[in-house]
Amino acid sequence: MKKSNHFLRGSAMPLKKILLVMKLFTFLLIIALHVSANSYSQKIISLDVKSATLKQVFKAIEKKSNYRFFYSDNIVPTDKKIAINIDAGTIKEVMDKALKEFPLTWKLIDDRSIVISEVTTNSFDDRVITGSVKDEKGAPLPGVVVKEKGTNNAVATDVNGTFKIKLINTAGTLTFSFVGYESQDVVLGDKNDLPVISLQPSAKALNEVIVVGYGTQSKRVVTGSIASVDLKAQETLPNTNVSQALRGRVAGVQFLDNGRPGQGGSILVRGKRSINASNDPLIILDGVFFNGSLADINPDDVESMDILKDASAAAIYGSRAANGVLLITTKTGKSEKPTINFNTYYAGNEWSKKIQMLTPQRYIQKILDYRAQTGLTSDPTQITTYLQPSEAKNYLAGNSVDPWNYVSQRSYTNSYDVNISAKNKNTSYFLSGAMVTEKGLIFNDNSKRTSVKANVETKLADWFTVGVSSQFSNRNTSGLEASLGNAYLTSPFATLHYPDGSLTQYSVTEDQLVTNPLYTATQTTNEEISQNLFANFYAIINLPIKGLSYRLNYSPNYRWYHNYNAYKQDPHLTNNVTTASKANTQNFDWTLENIVTYKKDIGRDHSFDITLLYGRNYSKVDSTQVNGATFPSDQYGWNNLKLASTLTATSSAAEINGVSSMARINYRFKNRYFVTLTGRRDGSSVFAANNKYAFFPSAALSWVASDESFMSSVNWLNFLKLRLSYGSVGNQAIAAYTTLGLTGTTQYVFGDGGSTSPGIFPGALMPNPNLKWETTYNANLAVDFQLLKGRIGGTLEYYALDTKNLILRRNLPDMDLYQTILLNLGETQNKGVEITFNTVNIQSKDFQWSSNLNFSYDRNKIVHIYNSDANGDGIEDNDITNKWFIGSPISVAYDYKPNGLYQASDVLPAGYKPGWVRVTDLTGDGAITSADRTVLGNLDPKYRWGINNNFTYKNFTLSAFVSAAQGWIGAYPRLYASGSANYIGRPANLQDVGWWTAADPTNTHPALSFTNPLGIVPYASRNFVRLQDVSFSYSLPKPVLQKIKMQNLRFYVSGRNLYTWTKWPGPDPESGDAYFPTPRTISVGLSASY
Amino acid sequence: MKRFKIKLLPALALVMLVVLGTLNGCKKNLLTETPLSSLSVSQVLSTRAGFTTFMTALHVAARNELISTDTYDRAFDMQTGTDVATTGDPTITPYVNYTTYLTPVNNTVKFYWDWAYLQMIARANNIIVYANKADPSIWASAADKNAVIAEAKFFRAYTYNVLTNLYGDVPIVDTIYDTPKVDFTRNTRQQVLTFAKNDLIFASKYLPTTVAKTDEGHIVKGAADHLLAEVYISLGDYDNAIASANNVINSGLYHLMTTRFGSDAANPGDPYSDLFKDGNQNRSSGNFETLYVLQIEDVTPGGQGDGVGANATAGTANNWIRAWGPRYFAITDPKGVTGMIVCDSLGRGVGWVRPCNYVEYDIWRSDYNTDIRNSKYNMRRQFIYNNPASTYYGQLIGPRTADIDTMQYLYAYPRKIEGKVGKVTNNTAGKTFKDMVVYRLAETYLLRAEAYLRKNDLVNAAADINIVRSRAHASPVDPSNVTIDYLLDERARELLVEEPRRRTLSRMGKLVERVRKYNIRATTRSSIQDYHALFPIPQSAIDANFGAKLGQNPGYPQ
Repeated sequence: MKKSNHFLRGSAMPLKKILLVMKLFTFLLIIALHVSANSYSQKIISLDVKSATLKQVFKAIEKKSNYRFFYSDNIVPTDKKIAINIDAGTIKEVMDKALKEFPLTWKLIDDRSIVISEVTTNSFDDRVITGSVKDEKGAPLPGVVVKEKGTNNAVATDVNGTFKIKLINTAGTLTFSFVGYESQDVVLGDKNDLPVISLQPSAKALNEVIVVGYGTQSKRVVTGSIASVDLKAQETLPNTNVSQALRGRVAGVQFLDNGRPGQGGSILVRGKRSINASNDPLIILDGVFFNGSLADINPDDVESMDILKDASAAAIYGSRAANGVLLITTKTGKSEKPTINFNTYYAGNEWSKKIQMLTPQRYIQKILDYRAQTGLTSDPTQITTYLQPSEAKNYLAGNSVDPWNYVSQRSYTNSYDVNISAKNKNTSYFLSGAMVTEKGLIFNDNSKRTSVKANVETKLADWFTVGVSSQFSNRNTSGLEASLGNAYLTSPFATLHYPDGSLTQYSVTEDQLVTNPLYTATQTTNEEISQNLFANFYAIINLPIKGLSYRLNYSPNYRWYHNYNAYKQDPHLTNNVTTASKANTQNFDWTLENIVTYKKDIGRDHSFDITLLYGRNYSKVDSTQVNGATFPSDQYGWNNLKLASTLTATSSAAEINGVSSMARINYRFKNRYFVTLTGRRDGSSVFAANNKYAFFPSAALSWVASDESFMSSVNWLNFLKLRLSYGSVGNQAIAAYTTLGLTGTTQYVFGDGGSTSPGIFPGALMPNPNLKWETTYNANLAVDFQLLKGRIGGTLEYYALDTKNLILRRNLPDMDLYQTILLNLGETQNKGVEITFNTVNIQSKDFQWSSNLNFSYDRNKIVHIYNSDANGDGIEDNDITNKWFIGSPISVAYDYKPNGLYQASDVLPAGYKPGWVRVTDLTGDGAITSADRTVLGNLDPKYRWGINNNFTYKNFTLSAFVSAAQGWIGAYPRLYASGSANYIGRPANLQDVGWWTAADPTNTHPALSFTNPLGIVPYASRNFVRLQDVSFSYSLPKPVLQKIKMQNLRFYVSGRNLYTWTKWPGPDPESGDAYFPTPRTISVGLSASY
Repeated sequence: MKRFKIKLLPALALVMLVVLGTLNGCKKNLLTETPLSSLSVSQVLSTRAGFTTFMTALHVAARNELISTDTYDRAFDMQTGTDVATTGDPTITPYVNYTTYLTPVNNTVKFYWDWAYLQMIARANNIIVYANKADPSIWASAADKNAVIAEAKFFRAYTYNVLTNLYGDVPIVDTIYDTPKVDFTRNTRQQVLTFAKNDLIFASKYLPTTVAKTDEGHIVKGAADHLLAEVYISLGDYDNAIASANNVINSGLYHLMTTRFGSDAANPGDPYSDLFKDGNQNRSSGNFETLYVLQIEDVTPGGQGDGVGANATAGTANNWIRAWGPRYFAITDPKGVTGMIVCDSLGRGVGWVRPCNYVEYDIWRSDYNTDIRNSKYNMRRQFIYNNPASTYYGQLIGPRTADIDTMQYLYAYPRKIEGKVGKVTNNTAGKTFKDMVVYRLAETYLLRAEAYLRKNDLVNAAADINIVRSRAHASPVDPSNVTIDYLLDERARELLVEEPRRRTLSRMGKLVERVRKYNIRATTRSSIQDYHALFPIPQSAIDANFGAKLGQNPGYPQ
């Protein structure tokens, strides 16, 4: 029998047409829709062909209509010619006539595509395949998608696992797929009843390879606590920084940023535990230490991101791993055929919240109420004399200023990314170029990053591989942004422009308190550029002993940063105000690592792998800054500083050296029992002479219980793994030389007309020759599971961290003559629970609904501070100055406890007035003393959770992500109208939080006369629930993609920070930023790959 | 494939060698830290030049007391809320209501404590301790070494004198620590003053009598003797106070200026007004009256307070005009039009320190027209509408009845606050670049007068006061009229603005009494309590010193 070719292809004409359309990427979807809309209206065809081949007839029909033909070349004869003459016939009439003389039949699909096939014994309408699907244990599997391969034709199995599918084609292949199971293809023979299909659990899901540091492992055998970030799910989100992919999405990981352009944000893994050393996690890029900013990494280059959370996983990075480790792996070539990816999006930003400032009317009311409450005349008819003259002018003219409108700019993010990758027998490569332009919400708050990347690996011989992964990025954050701080203070009656349109220096000229928010930004020309060149050169040698290999990494990293400023002459000033400065900083780091690995299987049941490492690392920073003031002209900018009347220069340098050795042994027994033992010894120059080195060991066990024979009868449980680990990791995140007690510099001029004398003085930091490593002892207990045939999967983890020899920056009494000292003292504990759930809620033919939930709870507390009892009360001393209290969390609010306001009828303390804040006398001794201060709350969230719901219908995907953090408070000084953030009596605006008046004696917001004698800071809840990301995407169906020779083409729309439920009075509860509003972003994007 | 392999092997060997070479390069001292751009104290203070740099930084610290910030609640607080001044600006709170303002969390209270221990005593103690530890060969001579220690001891004594006058009993720290200490206790005022006395005796012995022009600003013996006289008075040792003052007065180096001199001598004025003109403070200018002058220099790095921002010239400088000058540009003419605009001669005052009627009028009554300190060259009492847009342009501004909220707009003020506009700043800067006199001979006479007075030697007390008065062309005081209050009046006439009035009153125990008597704000007069004679101990200091009870001054919330 002649094997027919079922690989259909379209005829040439429409393909060309579509290719043409393809060049107009952005309009493709619209045009495609337009074409199909036309096709429905073209039902009637007239055709007059004298003598033509069948193919020519098809082309003629395509020309006259929007029908498209699909057929296999070898079934349509090319020699025989026919004649057709039809005047206004239906497509059926035309086709029946055309095929009359051929052993061919046709079928119309989707009202548009005409498929030509050979006539077989079964007609199309008759071929119905039935069967049933069972799982590996023989139980029926409902919801399995049964799809005719190469088409969109699909059905799902019913509750009994049976299905019935009507074929489009005469023969072919059915694909059976189900979440958590391996897909299976079944080639259809002649029979329409298939034997029972048995699906096997997907080894892939568990054998998914994840990066574990100095190597990769399949998920099944991992013993430590490693969270992988699902980057796929976020491809349709406008992430300009990889760390944004962490925001709210990973249990136990907190990411904070304020949404400003080019910001890196901060990451906290499993809560705060180090009081003063850095809490930033270690970043490992493609296997090596990365000291730059996360903002230097192009998110589109990132293949995977894994977070090592427990000691077992992190201990291999020993001294730097106490705050967790972020492993970022960039993409490599994967397929033989070169793949080109193109991804672009445009995102428009707007203020997700605008702080309500006093309106002009309320501002007037503030002045009147303030005057009344402080004993000044307060006569509304005299208001113009209470205002500053320039304010009065605007008041009378009816002019007012909206500060937010004034400092805003059109805000958007625009990103383009192209990459090319491929892999053949010996060589793989990945090359990319990307550009992202960000315009923030605030005038001149801009960032532009261009980056290129090259990952190349080649196998020179079976035993020798060399490669490089490298990247260069250029981040331009030039331009000084408008001063939001001044915008908050700008009077509604400010004068921001001279009559000639140029900017005034002060928003209310008489007072000079508030600089025009745009003035400095406009006066200053600023160039601020960070460049980062990072490369890892490596060689891998498979040594003659089987399983033994050696890897050498050498990773140099150059970073350049410069910040140049020129302040030009203001023509409205008579004095010369020109200044210019150049600041240059250069970092050079390198890491050199020798890694030996050995893998060995003994018999069927035992296998080992051993990793040994010896490495060194070095980093150096040096910087120079030159400032010039008073130039003969502002035309030179910063380019000829010698012209300055006054020149000053400063420079500094520092270097850090480190040495490391590490050993790790993984042992597997029967592929069910796993043991990992790790030890790392680190030395760092930053520590004091006697404590340069430290050793960090850890051990972990895990057991795949579901593979035991006694578990085989538990049908609902598909996978169960228990993990247990214990170990220690260190923290060396302190700056160079901090143990030495360094000096500061200053200057003085003796004698009139004298020259500058340099001065040196002791620094603020007391030297500590005994400073040593901080160590976190980390216990982790976890369960990984999959239930109900993979419909529910997840991880439950419990951890306990015990941090000792805490490096802390302790504030000292002034009488010590130093402000602070870095010490190893005390002990903190973190305990927490992390839950991750992934569920497939609905799985049907065309529709899938899946959810991910992450939840984390972290409670940290201080166990010991100084182990001192200096005051001899038998209880370990707290440290009030540093707000550290035994048994309390590390970051707490400690203050008097506000208890409403004094009202006119109350007995007032001396000097107090009605409407002033009353505090609780906690000691009950009848007097308010410093002993009445108490811990008011936690400054870090207790709980965090996030839920992502993902809906897929055919080629449409909708996902919605909600994140939340609860159980925390934050200081918000603006809550007191007369508080430190506001200038109550002066011509400055303030947030309209309300205030006490005799006529409206509230009990919450103090009077404008309140001078805050106790220096109380007001706090507010930072709890929030946020609809963080919603994205909707459409991918072109496979057949269409095949026609246009593309692998993928997707369009998407997404929204970020769409809505936040919170009582936080500031710009954003999550970032807690005092000034910057987090943007709400709507983006549209397109990604294409060939 | 095989040939390929052979070629690669040498390359591999090379790679391994390079690696091993690098690793062998790890010396044992690989992790030893050698700072690249900042030295430790012990490294700096191992050379003579190092001591010079530390001494310079100590002078910067001393200047920081007055000009490191111009925030109203720190820089001007030795004047507002006393008998000589209140704040003119009704929207700011310093000392308006003593009870609610002067609390243990007050910024001013913390500022002086921080400045004293973290800057002055820290720098002085390091010099003193290391001078005695350093290799003796670094010193040119024993005198060289002692002169360095003497200058550091002067500053330490100066600081303890400030501390005890403001806070009463304070901890004496006479060394440097290398481990945290949290159990300080307060020494009595008597102990603190005795400690300062001993430092000053040493300083007086070893300090130079004069310095070269290029070293002006450094401490001379006369300054130490002057301060020692004050400390002796505080200790009740009047004979030694007199002796110490004699060391200055009889040194033959100083005299009150009675003839015109310096930069403004050619213009109308008098010897008293010459004392306060730009460039007339240092001895080399011909001013033989000054003992200790804080150095300020325009557009020279280090010439001003510790720089602010990127611009080294943008630090604060002499802020007298900003603090004491009226906010005259807010005055309107009778038609309600802005009457005055900012001009060079008046600068830009903000009226934060507004003189009380006591110094505006009361103290001048006896010699209103003859006392040159009240002459038009030294008190500005007349203002002219200078806004061309006003129809009153060029006319004298007439008397007004001031509401409390316009008290800052216009008032008579001592012209010693005025100065030239800077080379790169304009008249809106609110600051000048005039050196600031800390001690001058006129005060030495008044200290000696105080010592005589307290000894009940009214004749000699009057004689000293009359030396000061006669230079001012004021009528001599009769010994029978000399009292502490009279002496305070004379100090106000002679030293207004220059002396830290709060500390003078506090030292004499007269603060509360005289605020109740002379302050022009009713709230201030009624809210000041007896316990306000001293500052509270900063709550930050009490909290940090948890190993022992530092204790709060009585009357304040404990």
